[in-house]
Amino acid sequence: MRRLSVLAAAAAVAFGLAAAEAEAARDARIVVVTHGQAADPFWSVVKNGVDAAQKDMGVTVEYRAPETFDMVRMAQLIDAAVASKPDGLAVSLPDADALGPAIKKAVAAGIPVVSLNSGSDVFDSLGIRVHVGQTEYEAGLGGGKRMREAGVVKAVCVNQEVGNVALDLRCKGFADGLGAQVTVLAVSMDPTEIANAIKAHFANSPDTQGVLTLGPTAAEPALGALEELGLLGKVQLATFDLSPVVLEALADGKMLFAIDQQQYLQGYLPVVFLALNARYGLMPAGVVMTGPGFVTRENAVQVIELSKQGIR
Amino acid sequence: MASSTIAERDERLRPSGVVRRLFGRPELGAVAGYLLVLLFFAVVARGTGMFSAAGILSFLEVSAQLGIVAVGAALLMIGGEFDLSVGSMIGFAGIVVALPAVEWGWPLWLCILLAFTVALLVGWVNGMIVSRTGLPSFVVTLGGLFVLRGLTLGITRALTGRTQIPGLRAQLEGDWLAPLFAGEVGTGIMQWLGEMGWIATRPDGLPLASGIPVSILWWLLLTALATWVLLRTRIGNWIFACGGDPAAARNLGVPVAKVKTGLFMFTAVCATIFALVQTLSVGSADVLRGQLKEFEAIIAAVIGGCLLTGGYGSAIGATFGALIFGTVQMGIFYTGVNTDWFKVFLGVMLLVAVLFNNYVRRKATEGR
Amino acid sequence: MMRSRPPLVEVENLSKRFGTVVALSGVSMRVFPGEVHCLLGDNGAGKSTLIKILSGVHRPSAGRILLDGQEVVFHSPRDALDRGIATVYQDLAMIPLMSIARNFFMGREHVVTRGRGLLARLDMRRANAIAREELARIGIDVRDPAQAVGTLSGGERQCVAIARAVYFGARVLILDEPTSALGVKQASVVLRYIAQARARNLGVIFITHNVHHAWAVGNVFTVLNRGRTLGTFGKDEITREQLLTMMAGGRELEELSAELEEFARADAARAIDVAAEEKEVAATLRREVAFGSGFSDDGRRP
Repeated sequence: MRRLSVLAAAAAVAFGLAAAEAEAARDARIVVVTHGQAADPFWSVVKNGVDAAQKDMGVTVEYRAPETFDMVRMAQLIDAAVASKPDGLAVSLPDADALGPAIKKAVAAGIPVVSLNSGSDVFDSLGIRVHVGQTEYEAGLGGGKRMREAGVVKAVCVNQEVGNVALDLRCKGFADGLGAQVTVLAVSMDPTEIANAIKAHFANSPDTQGVLTLGPTAAEPALGALEELGLLGKVQLATFDLSPVVLEALADGKMLFAIDQQQYLQGYLPVVFLALNARYGLMPAGVVMTGPGFVTRENAVQVIELSKQGIR
Repeated sequence: MASSTIAERDERLRPSGVVRRLFGRPELGAVAGYLLVLLFFAVVARGTGMFSAAGILSFLEVSAQLGIVAVGAALLMIGGEFDLSVGSMIGFAGIVVALPAVEWGWPLWLCILLAFTVALLVGWVNGMIVSRTGLPSFVVTLGGLFVLRGLTLGITRALTGRTQIPGLRAQLEGDWLAPLFAGEVGTGIMQWLGEMGWIATRPDGLPLASGIPVSILWWLLLTALATWVLLRTRIGNWIFACGGDPAAARNLGVPVAKVKTGLFMFTAVCATIFALVQTLSVGSADVLRGQLKEFEAIIAAVIGGCLLTGGYGSAIGATFGALIFGTVQMGIFYTGVNTDWFKVFLGVMLLVAVLFNNYVRRKATEGR
Repeated sequence: MMRSRPPLVEVENLSKRFGTVVALSGVSMRVFPGEVHCLLGDNGAGKSTLIKILSGVHRPSAGRILLDGQEVVFHSPRDALDRGIATVYQDLAMIPLMSIARNFFMGREHVVTRGRGLLARLDMRRANAIAREELARIGIDVRDPAQAVGTLSGGERQCVAIARAVYFGARVLILDEPTSALGVKQASVVLRYIAQARARNLGVIFITHNVHHAWAVGNVFTVLNRGRTLGTFGKDEITREQLLTMMAGGRELEELSAELEEFARADAARAIDVAAEEKEVAATLRREVAFGSGFSDDGRRP
């Protein structure tokens, strides 16, 4: 019984804090719904951007994301957000078919909507005026071209989430940009497994010259695997997105480049746009491109400090 | 009339040979299954380097890490309970080690001590809730799954604003404890084998397989320890009894609640060893580490002959279950098969293993 | 003759309440060595509450337990076991998936443990040998004590449980409905072994609601009804029909008497009746007890 009451007290304190935060509501309330869980290093930075914008603009922002990559759940979250009549809604659009009806409802209800991250090809058809993000295919294409310039003719694309359209597009763009043979290596999120899968791949096709990983989750084990194989510097390694380890490797010349979509902006800008819209009725139009930016040995050092702060 | 019962028994009894004894072992299905897997890859992946020194170590390392948690899960399952919080415990233990080390500069030994203390505490809480309330452990530990994962994320984000804690490698430089979890052994032998030209070498002359990862030793050690405890100690007898029939065990004077709580603590410790091995060898902690490991561990234990209902199984079986899992997982990269089909393959293997197991167990309890 | 010795175990005015429910009120009984004390009563009469108190599972709300004339308090089943009171539960006696030998030594592993501290280990070879030997003594031939208990029949399982209790020095054996789930043949195996335990001078408390089984091996009968005792009777003080009447309680006496008459007629008429068979058991047992030792020689019936 006593334990129960302690639990209850703890819960009450937790809810009290949440309530106090909500009470501090200022002139506008904006809801951000994305498909990225806060535990994902990429989305962690997006959320940092959201949080910063909330502070800078003096608005209230609620960040919501489904626990897994679940479009039905995400559509329900959007429905719930619309029902709460916010002053602005920012959503990511990984699957327009699944999310379209919910977003159209929001637009019909007169709620200004900004899309972010994925969805650059469909946002206007849903009545959304601004998209903040990078196009995955083009980013992959740029990466492929860069790798071709480095002399790679046979490469592997390490995909830790086969079936995620955005990641599949990155691999496809990369293959097209390279204009050569690219094997897709489907792996899980487990670092040991990724490292050993890459080792197995090199045992199988030792003539592979380039490795592209689709995120730091895979890039870090890939670094380890290449180091163990004695191939660091001989095989060109590149990745999407940044992490402190990736940046260090870039600075040390162990990696060729990292494709940075500067996702901090994807969290920051939509909130700013929606806040300004709520306050002054201002809103840009079209696609606001946040990337691709390429981080290489030359500019890695500058980026490292920002990355530690969760901004890049 | 009583003597006729004895006569009947005599008719039913058959000679108890070594063969029959082996046939009754729970791990038999997994061992046979593993031979099948090896045979399959020996044919399909021949000449690909899967069975070179580096290739073997590669799938052994994957199996070893899973095996470390699978042994814990197997013991717990034999004791009649599940722990779904294992995967989250891996992530949690990872940040418990990395956060103080990287953010506050704690020495590694203190971080490791802290991690094991936290693990024992989590295991104890799981065990106490399960044995005090009598609720099914998969419900109780499902709560643990979410709470621990949430704590991992919440604490890491609150303290660092990120979800990864890198920079552990620099911290570990020259630490005496790190090789215990992240090192390699037998590097000299590998070097020598490489020089003799018996195993493949890198362009710079070093052997491709530079040494045996310590995780493999942890795995073997835990398997041996668990097998010894299960088969040759009083605690082992009690573990089987707790899973087989907790009420009967209690009536016979077995401290069921203590045994189960101890098992939950052991499982959490196994998860922490897994976390240490992975965190220290990769050099960073990530809040997402260990996802789905709870299910993989249970799958390995089941492939290895553990009954979902408890009271039957073996640690060696779980080890072979992990080997099947790890070998199939890595082997598929050598076969050239599209990895999209990996899960189909894994699912079929699991199904075959469970069907085979069920058959063997029925034969064993029928007394043949 | 047996009653002249001091009682092994005695309960005085034992009461047990679960919240507002009175499960047992003011029950007294005495168990002497070398006697089978049958505890009879319908469901809910308080039989299992009484034995759970005696075996250390529950603590009495009032009253006391005397062991060899000394007052004792049992804190756990283990406690009672250590003092020589062993309980064999009807269906909770064995762990089916574990081997006979492992079951035999469950909770008593220290007997076959070798080495100390971290190196303490079970000597399974010895455990198997002892289990095989002990079971052979009661006429169960187990070639492989490593086989699962699940492969034994229900009666054999009960016998293994009883043999286990006897081996570990039980002086008072509490048997909770050991025969109720068994067929006639299996039940007779168990009854025979109960008689053997009696011959070894153990005190046996035999809980049952089957008067036939009780009558076959019992010396003394205590009948419980709604948590109270209706009295304790020697075998010469009461008839089987009276016992049955008492168990059913006074209220349904009217309807019952008719049925009983029917029962008595059938009893007399049919030769291969359950009752007849049980008489046969009783007769054999009497012979056995008169012989004194019949069992321990080779574990087989003469």
